[in-house]
Amino acid sequence: MEKVYIAFAAALAVGLPAIATAWAQSRIGAAGSGTLAEKPELTGTIIILVAIPETMVILGFVVASMILLM
Amino acid sequence: MIIRMAKVDIVGPKDDLMATLELLRGKGVFQPDPELLNLSRDDVPRALSSLILDENELRERSYFADLQERIRSLLDLFPKMTGEVSALQPLPVIDLLDELSERHLSEVSSLVERLREEGEQIDGLQQDLQFWSLLEPLYAKLPEHSNLELFGVTIRRPEDLPALERELLQRSHGRCQLSTATIEDGSLVGLIATDRSTADVLRGALDDVRVPERRLPEEFIGLPLPDRVASLRRRLSEKQQEHKSVEERLERLSTEWRPVYVRAEAWLTERLALYGATAAAYATRHCFVIDGWMAAAQVPVIEQQLAEVFRGRVMLQQLEILEEDIARVPVALRNPTYFAPFEIFSRLLPLPKYSSFDPTPFIGLFFPVLFGMILGDVGYGLVIAFLAAYLAKRMSHRPVICNLGKVLGIAAVYTMLFGLLYGELFGNLGEIWLDMHPLWIDRAKALLPMTVFVLSVGTMHVLFGLLLGAWSALRHQQRREGVFRLVMVLLVVLVILFGIGHFFPQPWLATGPLLVMIAILLPVLVAAGGLLAPLELLKTFGNIISYVRIMAIGLSSVLLAVVANRLGGLTGNLLTGILVAGVLHGFNLLLGLFAPTVHGLRLHYVEFFSKFLDLGGRRFEPWGRKPP
Repeated sequence: MEKVYIAFAAALAVGLPAIATAWAQSRIGAAGSGTLAEKPELTGTIIILVAIPETMVILGFVVASMILLM
Repeated sequence: MIIRMAKVDIVGPKDDLMATLELLRGKGVFQPDPELLNLSRDDVPRALSSLILDENELRERSYFADLQERIRSLLDLFPKMTGEVSALQPLPVIDLLDELSERHLSEVSSLVERLREEGEQIDGLQQDLQFWSLLEPLYAKLPEHSNLELFGVTIRRPEDLPALERELLQRSHGRCQLSTATIEDGSLVGLIATDRSTADVLRGALDDVRVPERRLPEEFIGLPLPDRVASLRRRLSEKQQEHKSVEERLERLSTEWRPVYVRAEAWLTERLALYGATAAAYATRHCFVIDGWMAAAQVPVIEQQLAEVFRGRVMLQQLEILEEDIARVPVALRNPTYFAPFEIFSRLLPLPKYSSFDPTPFIGLFFPVLFGMILGDVGYGLVIAFLAAYLAKRMSHRPVICNLGKVLGIAAVYTMLFGLLYGELFGNLGEIWLDMHPLWIDRAKALLPMTVFVLSVGTMHVLFGLLLGAWSALRHQQRREGVFRLVMVLLVVLVILFGIGHFFPQPWLATGPLLVMIAILLPVLVAAGGLLAPLELLKTFGNIISYVRIMAIGLSSVLLAVVANRLGGLTGNLLTGILVAGVLHGFNLLLGLFAPTVHGLRLHYVEFFSKFLDLGGRRFEPWGRKPP
């Protein structure tokens, strides 16, 4: 049973930030697409902005790995 | 690399201004910057003021502008053709060109107008011919009648036909006949036959139901239908002949004169640009001064050119770039052959400031390594290498794609190298078929060592960025910023050592002294970087942890490859197995091209460059003329 709890905790640790990242990226992506239509020279900045929330899911992944491995 | 620029001052007699400007524009290496010369400064002579053209020069400019406009109108009217450009020197014959261009403009305008009118007439005749030719067979079916009048109609919507027919029969009391045929656009054409006394009534009916009568030119109206068609054909042929002869005349004129006018227009553009360029110059009663920028390597070349052409009358002087000028120095990037293709990625960022660094070499050095670290598979590396070779060789006419091919080629080498270290060839296919084993680590199983490895890579990368930032700040006398970054480096190292000592105690690593050093350095960090400095420190650790994505994305890639092989094996049939595994590997490779690129770049743009890169530089845009 303990294994189930550990797996569930790991899944939550990576799943919730993944949802949060997806939500943030959807908002930034939509705004970024609008921006690019008017100012294509901001491509680099938009890529950076879209990529920033990914840190959340990466941190979630780290926590999930720690839960599973330690 | 950011090209070293020189601030220069060009001085000479006013009479040589235009020739000097012409030489500088011709070389295409000088960017004027009138704001460099601050007239309110004490060391600037009071007699110096913005250069204003004299009356003769203004008249000449206006004359050239008028002539250029006329020649452009003429060139617009000439048929488009890629021909040679004449070697004519326009200045000695400028008066003749002026007179000729006026005459040619008038002649060419009338020819073009004639072509347009005749084109319209030909179109109309062709439509009439098509219309009446369609009606010819219908005419043959009509009864012979001496008092018969015929007229044609176009019925746009076929569904209106029954209503029209009803209306016509009602108005004519049954004394008319409507025959129809379908034309190319799907609408109907109809021939109405009736006696002359009823024709006007039916025309009124057509107006009421809004069906237009197809009217012929006056000269064809009285003719019987077969004669109409023959006459239309004859007239069309005559018009086409006339049109052709006008076209030939226009082409002859164009072949003969277009190269001359193209050359004259280019010369006038150049000449007028020189007048425009005088706005960047300052002058006293007898001398002119222009300040601006050029690549430092070009200074001796231009100096020598000026000396040869003007025999010492026009002088170029290199000035010291002052601290207050740094923000004005324009930036131009030039990279060696290896790094140049990586400019496709650095161009996504705004231009760096002159005092900062060109991001291209850093991307060139680290991006392929991170890419290889993430994808790390000999098989995928080979496929990418072939793709890269194809793009680089076959797409040489499209520089961005060609450069992308070169970048992928370098990334493929690192992908294969890390593939050997991880022991991966299309996932675990190398292990199954070739008994291939990792030279260093099996990343699908060794998650913790892999995490430690990528965090170490992240630490080194971020610390390198911080050190570059500290060096850059100290080099530009920003001592506080420099100290802040150096203390940050020390704190990051100390906190990491403390973490190692705390979680994995080592006899050589005492955590107590580390804690004391951290406690001493934290106030220094706040003093140098402000109250938000501890937050910046936390952000730096966030940046380092962000490098775990190398392991995370790599792991998903290798697991997908293993799943592809396993599913392929489960099919039990060689061909189906190859197909299933091939599709999944293809999908994984597609992801493997995209994800490492985006994440590799993100690690540069967000984690690495934020530590030292100062963006927002001015692009170096030298005066230059296009080759004729």
